[in-house]
Order: sequence, then C-alpha cells, then structure tokens
Amino acid sequence: MSFLEVTAQLANGFLTTLLIFGVTLVCALPLGLLITFGSMSKIPPIKWIMRTFIWIIRGTPLMLQIIIVFYGPGLLFGWSALPRLMAVLIAFVINYACYFSEIYRGGIESIPKGQYEAGQVLGMTKSQIFFKIVLFQVIKRIVPPMGNEIITLVKDTSLARVIMVVELVQAAQQIVAQKALLWPMFYIGAFYLLFSGLLTVILNRVEKKLNYYSG
Amino acid sequence: MKKIMAAFLAAAMSVFAFAGCSASEKTDWEYIQEKGKLTVGITYFEPMNYFDENNELTGFETEFTKAVCEKLGVEPEFQEIDWNNKVFELNSKTIDVIWNGMTINEDLAKEMLFSTPYINNRQVAVIKKDNADKYKDIASMEGASVTAEIGSAGETAVQNDSVLSKNYTGCAAQKDVLIEIKSGTTEIGVIDYVMANASVGEGTDYSDLMIVESVELTPEQYAVGIRKDDKELQSKINAAIQEMVDDGSLKALCEKYDLLDVYAFK
Repeated sequence: MSFLEVTAQLANGFLTTLLIFGVTLVCALPLGLLITFGSMSKIPPIKWIMRTFIWIIRGTPLMLQIIIVFYGPGLLFGWSALPRLMAVLIAFVINYACYFSEIYRGGIESIPKGQYEAGQVLGMTKSQIFFKIVLFQVIKRIVPPMGNEIITLVKDTSLARVIMVVELVQAAQQIVAQKALLWPMFYIGAFYLLFSGLLTVILNRVEKKLNYYSG
Repeated sequence: MKKIMAAFLAAAMSVFAFAGCSASEKTDWEYIQEKGKLTVGITYFEPMNYFDENNELTGFETEFTKAVCEKLGVEPEFQEIDWNNKVFELNSKTIDVIWNGMTINEDLAKEMLFSTPYINNRQVAVIKKDNADKYKDIASMEGASVTAEIGSAGETAVQNDSVLSKNYTGCAAQKDVLIEIKSGTTEIGVIDYVMANASVGEGTDYSDLMIVESVELTPEQYAVGIRKDDKELQSKINAAIQEMVDDGSLKALCEKYDLLDVYAFK
C-alpha cells in the first residue's frame, strides 16, 4: 500500500473520530449543565441521585461503559442491538456530560455571593441572575479545565474500537494487521497531534477573547 | 429549574424507550428472516475473510457464507468483531453467527450451537526465518517467548504444552501474533495451519517468517457458531452445507483457496 492509499484509509477513520468528538461535545456540553443543576439541587433526593450517578460514571472506565451500552440491552433483555456508532455516542455523551458537570459546578460555586446579592438588589429574578450575571463569569473561569477535558476527548475517541467502530486507531490497526505495515500506527500520532494542536490554538483564542475584565 | 429537570428526564426516558423498541417474542430464525440479513461476525485474515487488491472483501469463508446465505434467502452482512468478544456479540444479538474459521472446543459448546464441521485443521508454530536453526523442535523452544491469540485453540495448545507455556503472553488476534513475531517482540507464535499457510513465507506480507514443520500441535475442526436457542438456523445451515458438499461446490472453493488438504468431507 502506498503512502497515499494509507492516508486515504486513515482519513476515513479520522472522519469517524471527528464525528465522535463533535457529537460528544455538542451534546455533552448542555447535558452537563443539566446534570450540574441536578447535583446542585436544593431538593435532596434529586441531588443525591445525581451525585450517585456522577460517582458511578466517573468511577468506572469509559471502556466498560461502552461495552455495557452496546452488549447490555441484548444480554439483559434480549433486545436487538443498537448500531455500534450509536452505542459509542451514548456512552461518550453521558460520560463527558458528567465530567463537564463537575467542572461547571466548580465554576458556579467559585462565583462570590456578592454577585447574586447585587442581582437581587437590582430586582432580578433567580434565573435572570444566573443566565445574565453568573453564567458568563463561569464560562470565563472554566475555559482552561474544559480545554483539558476536550483534548482528553480527542484521544479517548480511540476507545470506540472496543466494539469495532473503525475510528483512527482501528483504521491503522486494520492496515497493520492486513498488510503487515507497521508505520501507519506511528503515522496516526501525527493526526492526533495536529488536531489537538489546532484545538489548543482555538482554546487559547477563546481564552483571550473572554479576557474582558482585565482592561 | 423544574422545567429543565423535566426536559432532562424526558430526554433520558426517550433514550431507554429507543433502546427498547424492538423487544419481541419471535423465534430467532424469524427475527433473522424478518431483518432479511444475517449479520456475520468475522475478523479479517487470509485466506478466510480478507480484502483483495481492489479492496473488496473476499476469501474462502466470505464466498462460503455468501453461497449458504443465498440458499437461506438472506443477505450476509459482514461485521468485524473483537474475537475475544465473540460469545458476547452472539448472545447480545449484535451478530447472528460466528463464521470465520472458528475452532470447536468444549467451552464454546456451552455457549453456542455448531454447524457441521467443514475443515480439519491443526495448530503450528511460526518463527522468524533467521531463527530457523535455533528452533527446530519443541525441546529447543525451552525458555523462548511464546504468543497466541487469547481464547483461541492455539492458546489452549500452548497451555497444554509444558515447554511452550513457560514464557507465554496472550495476543488480541491471530494477525497480532504475526506482527509480534515480525517485529521481534516475541520469538514463537502459535496460530492455525490454514492461516499460517496462507500468510507466511515467500510472496506474502510476512515473507521473513516460516512454519516450524516438525512441531505438530492439536488437531481441530472449524464450524459456524450459531445462537444456542436457534436449532432452526442450525439445521438450515447444515442442509445448505450438505448441498454444497454433494454438488462439489465446497470442494471447489477449498481448491480455489488452497485448502484441499484440510477439507473435512473427503
């Protein structure tokens, strides 16, 4: 196989990697916020259910969660199977939403009480205070830890191969296995480095853009 | 806040509802027939299921599966699986059959039904050509690093051998065994003869590897793996195989892929 053929086949796998990355990010960002509201709820049952849920998801390997989402329905209830990619997406979205939710919670709890009190003095409602005053300060503060998680996500997408979703690593593995070429396995490192490099640049830009309080 | 929680719960419930929408009381064969597709769990290796130079899936098992499916009136759908998870895949209905040169053994018999065995195979040791003088028989392999596919008949053969089992590490797939040998991370690999014969030696991707002819490990048989409760599919596949034996088309397939010496119906 020539370099171009290998690149084409890897690019195919990379598209799946990008899809997992994109869908997870788009769905887990808002879902994480909902989980945060649950885990910070004033109603104890909701709060404890959410915190237990977060504990389970953060306390077990994502690889195991993918396996359970994919094989679980059939083994436990005899249902027919989810499409492989769908199972991966469900597991990734839930897992990342839980991690994001804890970052959100850290951000929300770091906002001084005075900000809420100022809002109340101005006669704003609770949700107005949250969405118009608190949330923007939270976003600014959580960009660095979110950047960390987002870059971890790029590399975690390779876990999809446990249920044989052909993402970048699996695409390379197939070439290694079928054509006895070893170098594609090292070549994919460049894909990951370039992509996470691009994300780093974007995240730095975002951080600078949000730096509106320091004159 | 309540509205948001309600929306979240609704979303969570719809996920479960979606996952559960196809529970049913049909028999397994009816379920496959209704789909019109037989999802076949495979791993890619020569000469069973592999890609030719036009990147088309081909091979002995590929053609064999297609021929049997035609008789059954369903479309084969080939799905690559992790060989370690094959029982999982079969029981959770993520695949319908395992059809990829699967060796019959007692452990698998507890989990699934088998078709009529169609190939008589054996396990062989593969080494680098450079090591040809070093490893001539089992005794000379004392202390050398050995690998085989986890859960394969090769692994069982290694574990039952007092010399080979001394320095053994498992591998995820038979192809990985070859990569281990080629890259020099392990010295001896145990894989089945059918695969070794097709992928090692002159004119192959692994031209620097060879089979140690004097080492003969367990004889074994290949069969199709079928879900345990589906006797109907088993008898249909067996009937189709018998037809192919009777009209000589299975023998012709064996000849095409250089498998005549392991053909089971002689």
